[in-house]
Amino acid sequence: MNDFKQQFLGDTLTKTLFSETEASATTNGLGSTGSGFETTAHKFALAPLQKPVEFAKTHIDNTSETQARIQAAHGTTTLAFKFQHGVIVCTDSRATMGNVIASQTVKKVIEINEFLLGTMAGGAADCSFWERELGRQCKLYALRNKKRITVAGASKILRNMVLNYKGMGLSMGTMICGWDEDTTDPALFYVDSDGQRLENHLFSVGSGSTFAYSVLDAGYHYNMEVEEAKELARRAIYHATYRDAFSGGYVRMYHIKQDGWVAFDLQDVGELDIHYYPERKGVPDNQVQEEIIRPAGVSV
Amino acid sequence: MVPANRRGFHFDNCKRNELLESKGSITAKFTKTGTTIVGLIYKDGVILGADTRATEGPIVADKNCEKLHRLTENMYCAGAGTAADTEYTTNMIASKLELHRLNTNRQPRVVTAASMLSQHLFQYQGHIGANLILGGYDINGPQLISVMPHGSTDKLPYMTLGSGMLAAMAVFETKWKPNMERDDAIALVTEAVSAGIFNDLGSGSNVDVVVITKDRTDYLRNHSKPNQRVPKQTSYKYPPGSVSVIRKEVRYHSNANQSPAAVVPEVVMSES
Amino acid sequence: MVPTEHHGDQWEPYVDNGGSTLAIAGEDFVVIGSDTRSSDGYNINTRYDPKAFKFTNNTVLATTGYRADCKSMAKSVQAQITKYAHDHGKEMSVEAMAQMLSIMMYQKRFFSYYVFPIVAGIDKEGKGAVYSYDPVGNMERVGFRAFGSSSALLQPFIDDQLGFKNRADIKPEERELHLPDLQQAKNIITDVFNGAAERDIYTGDGLQLFTITKEGGIELEELPLKRD
Repeated sequence: MNDFKQQFLGDTLTKTLFSETEASATTNGLGSTGSGFETTAHKFALAPLQKPVEFAKTHIDNTSETQARIQAAHGTTTLAFKFQHGVIVCTDSRATMGNVIASQTVKKVIEINEFLLGTMAGGAADCSFWERELGRQCKLYALRNKKRITVAGASKILRNMVLNYKGMGLSMGTMICGWDEDTTDPALFYVDSDGQRLENHLFSVGSGSTFAYSVLDAGYHYNMEVEEAKELARRAIYHATYRDAFSGGYVRMYHIKQDGWVAFDLQDVGELDIHYYPERKGVPDNQVQEEIIRPAGVSV
Repeated sequence: MVPANRRGFHFDNCKRNELLESKGSITAKFTKTGTTIVGLIYKDGVILGADTRATEGPIVADKNCEKLHRLTENMYCAGAGTAADTEYTTNMIASKLELHRLNTNRQPRVVTAASMLSQHLFQYQGHIGANLILGGYDINGPQLISVMPHGSTDKLPYMTLGSGMLAAMAVFETKWKPNMERDDAIALVTEAVSAGIFNDLGSGSNVDVVVITKDRTDYLRNHSKPNQRVPKQTSYKYPPGSVSVIRKEVRYHSNANQSPAAVVPEVVMSES
Repeated sequence: MVPTEHHGDQWEPYVDNGGSTLAIAGEDFVVIGSDTRSSDGYNINTRYDPKAFKFTNNTVLATTGYRADCKSMAKSVQAQITKYAHDHGKEMSVEAMAQMLSIMMYQKRFFSYYVFPIVAGIDKEGKGAVYSYDPVGNMERVGFRAFGSSSALLQPFIDDQLGFKNRADIKPEERELHLPDLQQAKNIITDVFNGAAERDIYTGDGLQLFTITKEGGIELEELPLKRD
């Protein structure tokens, strides 16, 4: 018997819901035998209704599309790409709830461990909870097997975990980035709450991703030096924050090297704006030079 | 489009707005006076009372608005509901009553005003959101008539209307009695409006009162002010140079008839 | 049983009972203010329903949203904190309590609490700490935060007064030098709550002001607010 299923057996109301997902829950590789991973036996409370999932989907909103009662924090531009010196991971830091900016200082890069980074797009709580859980699973793997888990393995655990809740309203689009032991190439995977898992050299996720892609695609090549790569990522996030109202705040940057990741200082997108376009810089109101316009023939 | 010769409101956008609303888009919100309005008849005349809060959703839009509208010297009208509707309806009726007075050379009667209001509101089938308490004194003595948005009227010795009507009516039902003295009646009106101010979130701030008698009308603006703002603990003055400016332009306007000394500079500032 | 409100066919168990909270973290203190009004529509349910509670000797949890969910959640948190104290022979730290609350809220991801919590306390380094959450448990440590019916009025104001956002006279790297001391923080909170009571119909009646310092523990002051 699967732990995940077990927790709901006492509740007859919820049985109908999980009988449908039973097949996938036992065959998705998260079973208690074989893989060496344990099922995460989280007990999630459900609405006491025939269709608790419908309740969750109509009342708890991860997108800006519906006007649900509970607005979870969302909205983002995140990007990550591989290049000859590793992976650059770069994000904005804005969270919005409805029309309100909930925060300008969100950490959208989740430090899973010192070799693995995950990014946050979609529901902020969904990403931070499941990537924290992923960190626990990765630590257990390392303790059992005396070696680090691969990035491919870690991203697959995450995919399998969220797949258990497919169709229940989870919202996350994440990039799992790292550098495997004894390999010469960095690794980068995209995982989302639909259960999709992709590998590629470049991804951008979130409401501002289209803007970021246009900058990235124009400037990307694998043989970049570190500074060039960082500048490309910075520009991509900056331009996304400039055009996407749901992105903004600060540019947060990480570089994954063979011996682990390093984080760089935050950069305010407002200051980047002045950096890229100096003519936009304002002057304190008491120091500003007046421009005097007099019509012809008027003397004062 | 409305033909130029047709008067009144046009409803061209009603269907469109209904469609937009059903598709979840934001619809226009208007200022409602959440409101407690009251009126009573006492020994020598009639008294109307109102709070002074106007709200836009959860936000107080005006802390000291006027809800007691003058119709004629011998008639006032307290309004609750959509602020613009009460304002425009009472203004229009006030104009019509003044013309009526000049045409007939007689003091307008309360029932005349009530009929005008009632017929106007009925014509628009409740789309004009005006809930009114009409009070006045004419040759038939003191009268108090309520007019609802669909046009129905009620004639009662004491009445309350608006979101705070229950709180205010609780006071009237306990303490109102026929033939009250002037001071007692003013105090009772104030107490009833205060009940609305403190117990109904749609009502607040001050109490306005108008006392109408046979040959005198006293408009007691802010008769009671139980909700004064407390002084601030700190100063929030900004030091010079705290605002960043991209461009500052001083423009002098010339006027041929003015001497150069009278030329007024206009400062145009654009903030970043 | 869950209280219900029906809107058409949809089961609607949530009500917004209004009210506001505001927390400010200082170098070695935290202040957290909250009003005591609880309302539903145009009605005041009660003028004295505290939103903030002391949880340990250096933590306070203040929650706006749906009062029933706020209380139910607070009760679960208190139970866990008591259990932790018995199991470990020491009080829970703010950091631990903050992370625990996040997880407890996420356990109800599919039947969420309708709450906006703020946890305030003194951290292990002796610094003031404020944690803010969304209704499904996303957590962030911040310097100051306003929540509730007046949050759209209060947050921009403290972003200016405490965060010095878009200020030409204070450089971003100098912002910390201008942070308020304890008395200034308390003055700002009383001022903004008086302002909120002027303009937000759901905020009023009373202000509870919790002050947490390492030496003094938790102090509570109660001040009147407008009641209209």
